[in-house]
Amino acid sequence: MKHAYGGRTVLSIEHLIVAKASIVGLRGPNGSGKSTLLRLLGLIEKPVEGEILFNGQAVEPFSPEGRFRISLLPQEPFLMKRGVFGNVAYGIRIRGDVRDLTGRVHEALSLVGLSGRDFVQRPWYALSGGEAQRVALAARLALRPDVLLLDEPTASVDIPSAERIREAAFKAREEMGTTLVIASHHWQWLYEVCDEVFHLFGGKILGKGRETILFGPWTRFDSGLWGKRFGDQHFIVASRPPSDESAAIVHVGSIEEDNVRVDENDVVLKGTITRINLERNSGRLVATIAVGHQNFIVELTERQTRERTLFPGKDVFVHYCPKKIRWV
Amino acid sequence: MDFLLEGLFQAVQLLIGGDAETYSAVWATLRVSGYSMGCSLMIGVPLGFCLGYFDFRGKKPLRTMVDTLMALPTVFIGLLVYAFLTRNGPLGDFGLLFTLPGIAIGQTILALPVVIGLTAAAVESMDEKLRIALMSLGANRRQLFLSSLWETRQGILAGAIAAYGRVMTEVGISMMVGGNIKWHTRTITTAIALETNKGQFGMGIALGLVLLAIAFCVNVSVSLLRKRN
Repeated sequence: MKHAYGGRTVLSIEHLIVAKASIVGLRGPNGSGKSTLLRLLGLIEKPVEGEILFNGQAVEPFSPEGRFRISLLPQEPFLMKRGVFGNVAYGIRIRGDVRDLTGRVHEALSLVGLSGRDFVQRPWYALSGGEAQRVALAARLALRPDVLLLDEPTASVDIPSAERIREAAFKAREEMGTTLVIASHHWQWLYEVCDEVFHLFGGKILGKGRETILFGPWTRFDSGLWGKRFGDQHFIVASRPPSDESAAIVHVGSIEEDNVRVDENDVVLKGTITRINLERNSGRLVATIAVGHQNFIVELTERQTRERTLFPGKDVFVHYCPKKIRWV
Repeated sequence: MDFLLEGLFQAVQLLIGGDAETYSAVWATLRVSGYSMGCSLMIGVPLGFCLGYFDFRGKKPLRTMVDTLMALPTVFIGLLVYAFLTRNGPLGDFGLLFTLPGIAIGQTILALPVVIGLTAAAVESMDEKLRIALMSLGANRRQLFLSSLWETRQGILAGAIAAYGRVMTEVGISMMVGGNIKWHTRTITTAIALETNKGQFGMGIALGLVLLAIAFCVNVSVSLLRKRN
């Protein structure tokens, strides 16, 4: 599908499949199209070209097949001008199924860690940002949606609220089989929890994996090669970029503890391990390597995982092939 | 100043004494403003919502036109309505000239741009996140419209009060279309104009006090509603 605002294409995706009950991550810089994609998947807007299928049926805004079953939680907390009870009960009421309304509202609030007794009568203006976002999530969980779309769910909230929001979302998946699609800048967390992570840039899906995307401006070095500096001592080299706005997709190979070239075409970068995560889907360990101020994600080999010789703070070497860098 | 104080004293006497002529003007005003506000809200709020909510070609010029019509002089509206309702006019057969419904038509025309314009402004200032929230919770088109209206109720209420203020205090339409007929189409404002011309300040002041009291009651009710919301 394609989507545009004022004649300018902001999203162009050939195809995207989200499996039922999966957890899918969307990562990318600001303006990459993550929020637009979520609004389209959430049936808030209709793409100017193409279509969205839900359980095999074409859906669009106000489709009966999608209403109440697909729900979007936007980045900024927003509540209607009514009390907490009114906000959480709204979706249930308009659905027309008001059996045990109070019980369901209290249950939804408890999912996000809010006491029904303490919060249910509070007006919308008497909540902190974190509490408001939790109430907004509760309103969506009360509908027991098939799909929950979360746009930077923890960006605008305090740490305790962020934790509660994450727990509530994953609990929904475990207990209700809800499919989760999460857009976040916290890509390390995405790789930790998601079955798949799609990388967006310029409105396109560039891949799903651990590639690093580097943005301009690009520098021409004395050697005639082009590249980018990450601080004083570190830099990456590549062929000439198509334009200054081009982005480079770099796939970094395995981590080596010594400065050895795996391939003669490879260039070696020295960095420091800052974090090691367990990747949920594959069960593998991935390391975040800081090369200057740029982070790369690399999967540990089975041997490295078994031998446990790598740890945060350790200096290591990673390599990439300049010829294999893709420009977009 | 003596004549003003004397007038004030007479006004109190007329009001307490339940003077029939005074209260006839009050009742006529309440009826005609009720009709005109009812019609202008029923027509104006949905139109204002559409004007503020949707994007379409010609929206800006239309918005400018509505804002311009808010300042229409009452005598001009009175003139137009008179021309339509007079016996030789296109609507002459309905016999609406010099009747309260006739005045209500004119006052509806007066109030409509205010209701439409201020409703549109309230809807335009509506947070886009509201639409996203309502749709995310499963609202269909009708529920989206009604819930959005409810969320912008303060702005719409402000528009209704502004329109009511214009309607209650206008003279031109009531005079030209109503004819200021005693016991029938004499409203508070036309009565004040007439009595002042006659030098009867007592009734003029009495009616002015009633007008103030009505405006006060409306604003107190609105304040209480706002507090409750």
